[in-house]
This record gives sequence, C-alpha cells and structure tokens, in this order.
Amino acid sequence: MLTYTLKRLLATLPVLFVVSVAIFLIIHITPGSPAATILGMEATSAQIEAFNEEMGYNRPLIEQYTSWVSGIVQGDFGDSLFMNQTVLGAVSQHIGPTLSLALLSQLIAIVLAIPLGILAAHKRGTILDTMLMSFSLFGMAVPNFLLALILMLILGVNLGWLPVAGYAPLSSGLINHLTTLLLPALSLGAIQAALITRMTRSAMLDVLSLHYMRAARSKGLKERTLLIKHAFRNAFLPILTVIGQTFGTLVTGAVVIETIFNIPGLGQLIINSIVRRDYVVIQGVVLIVTLIYLFINLVIDLLYGVVDPRVRLDRKE
Amino acid sequence: MSVFRFKMIAILFVSFLLLAACGNDTGQQGEDTETDSNQQEDNLSYRDELNIALTAQPPTLDTAQTVSAVALDIAGNVYQQLFQLDASYEPTPVLAESYEVSEDGTAYTIYLREGVHFHNGEEMTAEDVVASMNRWLVTSSRAIALLEGASFSEIDPYTVQLDVPEATSDVLILMASQAQFPSIMPKEIIESITEENGLSEYIGTGPYKFEEWRQDQHISLVRNEDYQSLEGAPSGFTGEITTPTERLVFHFVSDHSTRIAGIQTGLYDVADTIPIDSYDQLDADDNIELLTFPGGTLTAFFNTTEGIFADEALRHAVLAALDNEEIMLASYSKPELFELAPGYLSDNHEQWSTDAGAEYYNQANPELAQQLLDEAGYNGEEITLLTTQDYNEMYTGTLVIQDQLRQIGMNVTVDTYDFPTFLETKDSRGEWDLFLASTGYQITPPQLLAVTPDWAGLDDDFVREGLANIRGAQSPEEASAAWATVQEHLYETSASTVLGHYNSVVAVRSELEDFELFEAPVVWNARIPE
Repeated sequence: MLTYTLKRLLATLPVLFVVSVAIFLIIHITPGSPAATILGMEATSAQIEAFNEEMGYNRPLIEQYTSWVSGIVQGDFGDSLFMNQTVLGAVSQHIGPTLSLALLSQLIAIVLAIPLGILAAHKRGTILDTMLMSFSLFGMAVPNFLLALILMLILGVNLGWLPVAGYAPLSSGLINHLTTLLLPALSLGAIQAALITRMTRSAMLDVLSLHYMRAARSKGLKERTLLIKHAFRNAFLPILTVIGQTFGTLVTGAVVIETIFNIPGLGQLIINSIVRRDYVVIQGVVLIVTLIYLFINLVIDLLYGVVDPRVRLDRKE
Repeated sequence: MSVFRFKMIAILFVSFLLLAACGNDTGQQGEDTETDSNQQEDNLSYRDELNIALTAQPPTLDTAQTVSAVALDIAGNVYQQLFQLDASYEPTPVLAESYEVSEDGTAYTIYLREGVHFHNGEEMTAEDVVASMNRWLVTSSRAIALLEGASFSEIDPYTVQLDVPEATSDVLILMASQAQFPSIMPKEIIESITEENGLSEYIGTGPYKFEEWRQDQHISLVRNEDYQSLEGAPSGFTGEITTPTERLVFHFVSDHSTRIAGIQTGLYDVADTIPIDSYDQLDADDNIELLTFPGGTLTAFFNTTEGIFADEALRHAVLAALDNEEIMLASYSKPELFELAPGYLSDNHEQWSTDAGAEYYNQANPELAQQLLDEAGYNGEEITLLTTQDYNEMYTGTLVIQDQLRQIGMNVTVDTYDFPTFLETKDSRGEWDLFLASTGYQITPPQLLAVTPDWAGLDDDFVREGLANIRGAQSPEEASAAWATVQEHLYETSASTVLGHYNSVVAVRSELEDFELFEAPVVWNARIPE
C-alpha cells in the first residue's frame, strides 16, 4: 500500500502543474485588474500605472508565473493584496468553516441516505420504494441554492428557529457552532442524501440478486443480518465512492451556499477574491483546493482496500 | 452486526446534536431573559450590540486611500477629522478648535482641541496632525488633484499651519469631505505605513475603538470610554455623540436575500443598499422601517475624444432622443425612489443646485433626434454602450438607452463586463462610445467625475477655466454662478448628461432609535431599548 500511495502522490505533480498554469493564465487573461478595485473608480491612470509597476503586474507573464511557482516550492504562496495576510494564513482562517460545514452536511446526508437506500432496496417495488425514489429524484433535481432559500424562509424567517446567516466558530461553543451551520448543512446534506440514497438502493439491489444471498436466506438468517452484514457490506464500495466524491464537492464547492448563508469559508474566499481580482489568493486557493480534492480521492481509494480485502492496491511483482 | 451498531450509535449521536442545536434557541432565550432582568436592575436599558449588514468587505480602513463607501462608513466611527460636515454641508471644527485664514487666503492657521486622546492613550498633538494631513495630501487622489503644492507644518504643539499655493474657496470643504477623508492618526502609525504593508493598526480619536476584523465576516468596534464628545445637537457628522451602544458589528453580507432575511429576523438591526425589488416586501413589514436619502446621480458619459461621438452633432441627437423618466423608472422601479433634475450635484446643497442646461435635459423627442441624426450624416455606424451587470441600475438603464437609440435608427450594441473589467475597458477609449455610471453625490463641482479628464476623457479648456473660477471665487454667489456656466457648457456640448437623481434605501429595525442618515449611516448615537 505504501508503494501505491507514493505512486499516487507522485502522480499529483503533473495535475498540479497543469492546474497552476491553467489558473494563472485564466486569471491574467481575464480583463480587470486589482488596481482598479483597490484604488477605486476615481483612480487616475498614472496611479494605476504606478500600482501595477510596484506590484510587478507589468512584468512578462512567464516571469510572474515562475516567481509565483518558485515561491510555492519554498512553501510561500504569496500575500493577499487586500487582507494584510499570507495566502496560507487566509486559507487556514477560511478552511475551518468549510470543513465544519462539509462534515455536518455529509453526516446528515449519510444518516438520511443509507437507511433510506437500504429500506428502498428491501421494499423494492412497493409504494414506499416509489415514494422514496420520487423524493430522491426531486432532491437531485432541486438546485441547492433554491432549497437553501426555501429552508431559510421557513425555518429562519417564518418560524425563527435557526439564524438565517452568519457563522459562530467552534470556540464560541459547540451548540452555537452547530446552530449557525444547521441550515446550510441541511441544504447541502439533503441534496447529497438524494444521490447517496439512489446509489445505496441500486448497489443493494445488485447484491441482493446474487446467488449467495439466496443461499444465506435459505440458511434461515435473520432478514436484518442478511441486509446489513451480507448485503450492505458487499454493496458498500460504490456507495463509498459516491460518498467520497460528494465530500470532495462539499469541501471544494459549497460556494453558493457559503455566500447565501454568509459563511466565511473557502468558497466565499474564492468568490470575494475574484471580485477583488486578488490574483495571488485566487491562484493559491485553487491550487490548495485541487490538492484537497486529490487527497480525498486518494483516501477513498485507500479505503477500498480497508473496506473490502479483495481489493489489492499493490500489484504483486 | 458491528456495522449496524456503529450506525445506530452514529444516528443517536446526530439526533442528539440536532436536538441540542434546536434546543439552543430556548437556551439562549433563557440567558437573554436573565441578562434582561439584570440589566433592568442595573438601569441599563439599551442593548449592548448593534449589528449592521453591509454589502461588501472594505478593501482597507485607510480612509485617505479609498472611496469605498463601506470603508468610510465603518472608519468614520474610529477616526475623526479636523473639520467635518454638519447637516447643512458646512465644514465644522471637530478635532480643530478654530482657525484663521491669512489675508491673501494662502495660509490657514488651525488651532487644535487640547486634551483629545487617541485610542492608545496618547494625546493628539500638532505632530500627529501634520503627519496625518501631509500623508493625505500625497495619498488622496482628490487632494493630489485639487491641493497640489499644499503642506502642513507645526507652529506649536496645539497649532498647525496649512499653506496652499493659491487661495481657493474649497480648502476646508475638501478637508471635510467624506470620500478619501483625512483621518487623524498618531504620527508613529503614519510612519509605520509602507508601500508593501498598508495601514494595519487602526488607532484614531473617534467614539469607537477598533476591536476585530474577521476577514470576509465582520469588523467589530467597541465604545471608546474616554471619548470626549463635542457639545451641541447632533448635526451631520458633528455635534454630540453619546455612544449608547457598547459594540458595533459591521457584517459583510453580499447576498441581497440574506441581508433582507437577516433584517426581517432581527439578526441585523441595519441593512444597507436594499435592492429595489425588495422594497415592497420590507415596506409591508411592521418590524422594519425603510429610510431613503439622496444617494447620487445616474449619469451618461459620452466618449468625446474617440469614435463616433467625437462628433458633437451626434451627441446632441442622442440627448434629444433620451427619455430620462423611462430610463430612471426601469433602473429604480418606483417613482418615489428617483427624481428628474439636470443638476450634477444634490439639490439639497443649495450653493450648487442649478438647472442650467435644462433645455437639453430629458427631451424625449425622437422626431428631433432623427432630424439631428440626418443632419449629422449618420450612416448606421456601430455604437457601443459599455456596462456592467454588477450594478443593476447601470445595466438596466443602458438597455433602455439601447432601445431608445434603436428607435431613432441607430445601430447600437451593448458590451457587458464584470465591474473590474468595466473600469478597465472604460480607460481604453477606442472600445466604447457611451456608458452610464451611478455615483454618489460630490460636495463640490471640481470633485465631479463629469469634469475629471481621467474619468471619461473629457478634456475641455472651458471646463478647466470654469473650475478655476469656482475655486478662486471671492464669494459663494460668484462660485455658484461659475458652476452654472460649467454645467450649461456640459449640456451645450453634450459631453455628459445626468439621467436622474436616485435615493438610496437603508432598512432598519423599527425599534432602533436615534439612527441618522447623512451621507452615510450615522450609528454612533443609535440605540435599541431592551
């Protein structure tokens, strides 16, 4: 497994290179400069010119790129133009809310989806199954921002049970922390749950139709043991893949939900940096997010071997 | 079986968390009630925190550098100026005690208030004022443009002198203006600001002290217990400041629906820049009061230097075609949220209020426009309107103008960019022919974007001379008359046209007391009874 992990880690380097070139080019080719945003609408062209000269934005692109990459190799992702802090500092400040939100959403998704998926598979063809699948289809069709606004309106504005926006860090107390995260986590989790429910159901159905399940049933095993111990364990691999992918999306892509609920996470950091044309932050965050995504994928792949011993990650020489 | 058990434990754990989270409301209410009764016992009857939702995070709190309204709204509580505007736009001494002007009008002796302390406990003296003001003179683009060659020097610890190369009537008002205002900070802080590291320590003399800046979340300020207020009724940015609320928290909430849901549920007490679409919804809410104040103008700027509109006759045809009421109604939705008037400055500001050039304003005369087009020899050349969807009123107004110009037979396209790109494209004169901009009111004519050559490229000797006459005028009446001729000239040459004056909308909770709107939300006397 060690060789496999090392190989996979090495394989991330070309990916990171391509991403770094792509994001650098996209940002620098996009018109609109940080100067106009920082100096304001009324800045004179002389002031803008002086600013670009001072920040090095007048240098050739290749020179700017190499100086950025050589900084990263030495662990320096650069400094934000706006925030008086380093990119790594900004990311470490913003990653907490995103991780908390992703974990809570994933927890909600798993807790809802797996029992419902198993139930639907078990009751295949019944009204319950049809209802569950209709709900999950509906969940997959609803965009998460719409669900977020509906939940905000009902649970926040009309009933007043939960705050409509804001974020309380864990240091302000677990209850406070969870209260502010519950609405966004429900909005994200419910949609992920829809996907995982469908995946659980179909994976379970595949396994339930296999011969050994019939053999186990004819041995007189209890239905619960049969479903959980024999069917679910064997159906778990594809479900794990979906869980991994959705977690990756949650960590790296909760941009809209973070904006709606005003959660100062990575998504908001990226959006705000784009609006401000804070080049160094956009580049740094995209690169770090890519790393996180690759890391999650690697962890999921490694987990295959743990969950199902039949999966051998190292090829025998 | 072990997997099943694990799941059961996980389900129980999550259910517990959910219940705990839902139960928190009650818990907090319980605590609140307890605090309530304690405070009543202590006879403290106002809430100790005000939550204000702003549309964006400020780029900096370095006021000399920025025109960002959110930055100035927050920083105005931390920093003070030598002079600030009262409700009638008169520069009034705040950190200054009084001043004298030399006979030739080029030397201002400014006597400072004694015993004013910075938030770090040090007393404010002339060296701090000189350092702060001299930095402002070379940092603020307005000061650079309008006070070139001026300098501050120390006379004694409580007196400074400002020397200006020539006498102008607007020196004090420039120092008192809101945009890029000169904050007075300790000298050592001014000296610590470098090109690479901007201002990072926020120490002023204002009624609130800087407490915390959580990036992309909020800035919080706490009451300055040692603040020595001016006397007299509050007026504009001057007068008595009582700071009844201990902490001000400025939240950055870019999403409109979140800001609106937040004020409806009481999460925020003040929410700025309410989108017009939500006006009726909030107006119907008894817990919310909507306040409007004159915000600024929506103005159309022609490219007078390059392209098809370098021809004045064609610009006149456009002016004849524009139906400003239609444009403003599309941009601001409700008639009570805008006014039609040709003045470039606020009508509330009597000295500069004039309808010079009114005959060219809001003509809505397509027949005349068509005739002028024919006379100018227009031959279907493409006209590019530049705009941004980041400011809805600018975008909508541009689309209406496109339609109005198409109706008189012009070939009009609209180029839409995000705001930073819009600003950059605006500076490439070959890429556009006309753009709209909604801009806040300026205090004096020379500050207007419409007369700033860098803004839309207008480089006109008549305007330059007119501005010099305004600044060098011997009396307010003379200055007003000089401005009227410049405004008349702007319309006569169709360099730009005001489309209308818009009102800004701020929503506040109805229980909020003593909140004022003057150029910016004034919250230092605001309070909410418990």
